Amino acid sequence: MAKEFELNEVEVWDGNYAASQALRQAQVDVVAAYPITPSTPIVEGYGSYVANGYIDGEFVMVESEHGAMSGCVGASAAGGRVATATSSQGFALMTEVLYQASGMRLPIVLTVVNRALASPLNVRGDHSDMYLGRDSGWIQLDAFNPQEAYDLTLCAFRIGEHLDVRLPVMVHQDGFTTSHKAQNVTPLKDDVAYKFVGDYVPVNDMLDFSRPVTHGAQTEEDWHFEHKARQHKALMDSRTVIDEVLSEFKSLTGREYNRVESYYMEDAEVAIVALGSSVETAALAAKQLREEEGIKAGVVAPRCFRPFPYDLIRETLDRPTLKAVCCMDKSAPGGAMGALFNEVSAAAYTTASRPMITNYIYGLGGRDFAVEEAKRIFKEQKAHADAGHITTPIQQFSGVRGPRLGFFETRRG
Amino acid sequence: MSTGVLGTEKRGIRELGAEEKVGWDEVTRGVVLNSFEGDASNVAHQKAEERQYADFNSYTATVASWRIIKPVYNRDICIDCQNCWVWCPDTSIISRDKQMLGIDYDHCKGCGVCVEVCPTNPKSLLMFSEAKEQEEALAEWPEKKKKEKK
Amino acid sequence: MIEIRWHSRAGQGAVTGAKGLGTVVATTGKQVQAYALYGSAKRGAAMNAYNRIDDKPITNQATKMFPDYVFVIDPALAFTDDITKNDKPTTQYIITTHLPKEELIAQIPALQDKTDRVFVVDCMQISLDTIGRAIPNTPILGAFMKVSKMYELDFFLENMKKVLSKFPQKIIDANMAAITRAYNEVK
Repeated sequence: MAKEFELNEVEVWDGNYAASQALRQAQVDVVAAYPITPSTPIVEGYGSYVANGYIDGEFVMVESEHGAMSGCVGASAAGGRVATATSSQGFALMTEVLYQASGMRLPIVLTVVNRALASPLNVRGDHSDMYLGRDSGWIQLDAFNPQEAYDLTLCAFRIGEHLDVRLPVMVHQDGFTTSHKAQNVTPLKDDVAYKFVGDYVPVNDMLDFSRPVTHGAQTEEDWHFEHKARQHKALMDSRTVIDEVLSEFKSLTGREYNRVESYYMEDAEVAIVALGSSVETAALAAKQLREEEGIKAGVVAPRCFRPFPYDLIRETLDRPTLKAVCCMDKSAPGGAMGALFNEVSAAAYTTASRPMITNYIYGLGGRDFAVEEAKRIFKEQKAHADAGHITTPIQQFSGVRGPRLGFFETRRG
Repeated sequence: MSTGVLGTEKRGIRELGAEEKVGWDEVTRGVVLNSFEGDASNVAHQKAEERQYADFNSYTATVASWRIIKPVYNRDICIDCQNCWVWCPDTSIISRDKQMLGIDYDHCKGCGVCVEVCPTNPKSLLMFSEAKEQEEALAEWPEKKKKEKK
Repeated sequence: MIEIRWHSRAGQGAVTGAKGLGTVVATTGKQVQAYALYGSAKRGAAMNAYNRIDDKPITNQATKMFPDYVFVIDPALAFTDDITKNDKPTTQYIITTHLPKEELIAQIPALQDKTDRVFVVDCMQISLDTIGRAIPNTPILGAFMKVSKMYELDFFLENMKKVLSKFPQKIIDANMAAITRAYNEVK
């Protein structure tokens, strides 16, 4: 039996430590990991909890991230509660197995500390790895600060393991900005947290010798499509379960989470849509701009990146006051508009108000996103709103040195 | 198809790939396939004819139609050495209590490994055309070869 | 909102210091942030750590800040780092040095007009004398308590003991002595 860990009512934890504590409280059975900066302390923490008797589980050392996720797939198929952590290059190496995990419907929890992808080699945070996972069939939740990294990791087990879902879940946090920033975190007591997460309920576990099963069967064109369709349906339908779990978490803790978070959107004329730690900074900028200059700025943030909340994004953007929206992508889009721009545009296309939408690529490789930069972007949206058309290229780069960089002009106005 | 030890009720009852094609809402979650119906705790101690094979178990599928030549077994010569049982890549040699009984023609693909490893003289297993009747094949069985003197 | 920027070298304990300060402050019901930029920095490389302290939840996740206090815990960094970056007319500087205050300021052009906002203390010598190693992170916090009047020394010492509780008693006692000396010696 695992020992109880003494916790203060308020702790000062960084995002990594917060996530590792959530893994401990969920009493994860197996972590197979190949640690990588900046997510190393998460699995290091798990290892130390196992070694010191705070978890009755097993840390499996493997030879690569590909091996790490493969170990997780095996342990999860065997019937255990399984989690691991990774970042960047490690995430990229894991990618092949991510698709196996979701296709096999294994509710593994992967805490991803977002970091740029090389080249150039870089350990700091951007969303390249998070975006790399967006077609992998995993649920992707996004934490904006250490408290949320803790809360959402606990919720991730509930969501993924729900018998109507049975899908793997990633909990993202920004490398360094969140993972290495200590803030006030209010943890749950061990027994309360475990009760919320609940006992693991195995489904088709390979260690059930009374019911031998084949996992990872091969299909060709005669079966593959139907299986992928069923998997996609499960992912789309997980929205209901995500809402339920978040709502139950709120009644337990008072902390409210939504699949789409919005700040000051009630009467907003201009808005930023962003992910990760930038959301809080942008919301602070919106508040200050409202007070200082009367600009009605708001912020929209998909808390749940997959399944993408088209329903709630559309609801949030469908207001007559809203004129101009800037979607901010913290990942080099490789010859396209940013992913957030594409998806938010798709959601907004069917709204009555159809705001103007532009795209900023920003923050690559951990470039700081300051309040002043958010304000500048809000003001640029205000200029679009006042002019009645987009006054800049549709896609631009923000915070990069050198001549102004932008692509595609609008044909409206 | 014969029943009993040499061919159970479920063995090879369908062509591989001829299963009913259900829609996305009926496929198993995670492509998980059950091997047996009901409680299979004791399955390792059961003979094939006693096991409750599930419909998706490959035991219930036949691949016999792929075969062009087949091994024929001659009980009169066999010494029950089990070489063919050990080597068969498709577990298609049926043996009970170390006694060779025959061939699972639903799963045998006609590779000929069993003939290759058979140590008797003449061999107790020989390849014949798929169309050749068993009795006809046995009637054509060769005589013991004499050792050639140097 | 109080913002603090630490100028340090990797290995001098700025991250631990910033987190320790945050932990003590959080026990009084305030909201805190403690973070650092280091990543792949090697031991000895110049780096920054940061604190934010407020009564309300802190949502500014940017690294950039306009510091109310700047801690320079490595003597050489006062000369080589841009220690007055993003400063305000009220920014106060606590600098580790063996030099008298006037002599230090005379050598750093950026501090010329800030004489009344610069405080000096020799955290290196203090930590060598008390802890036995050049770990200037806890003494700078003693000096900070004196300059900022944030908490009474005794209150701070008691809470720092809890932060350091995983260390042997000898180390804790040495750190308490270091904090106290810096509190008394900062000028």
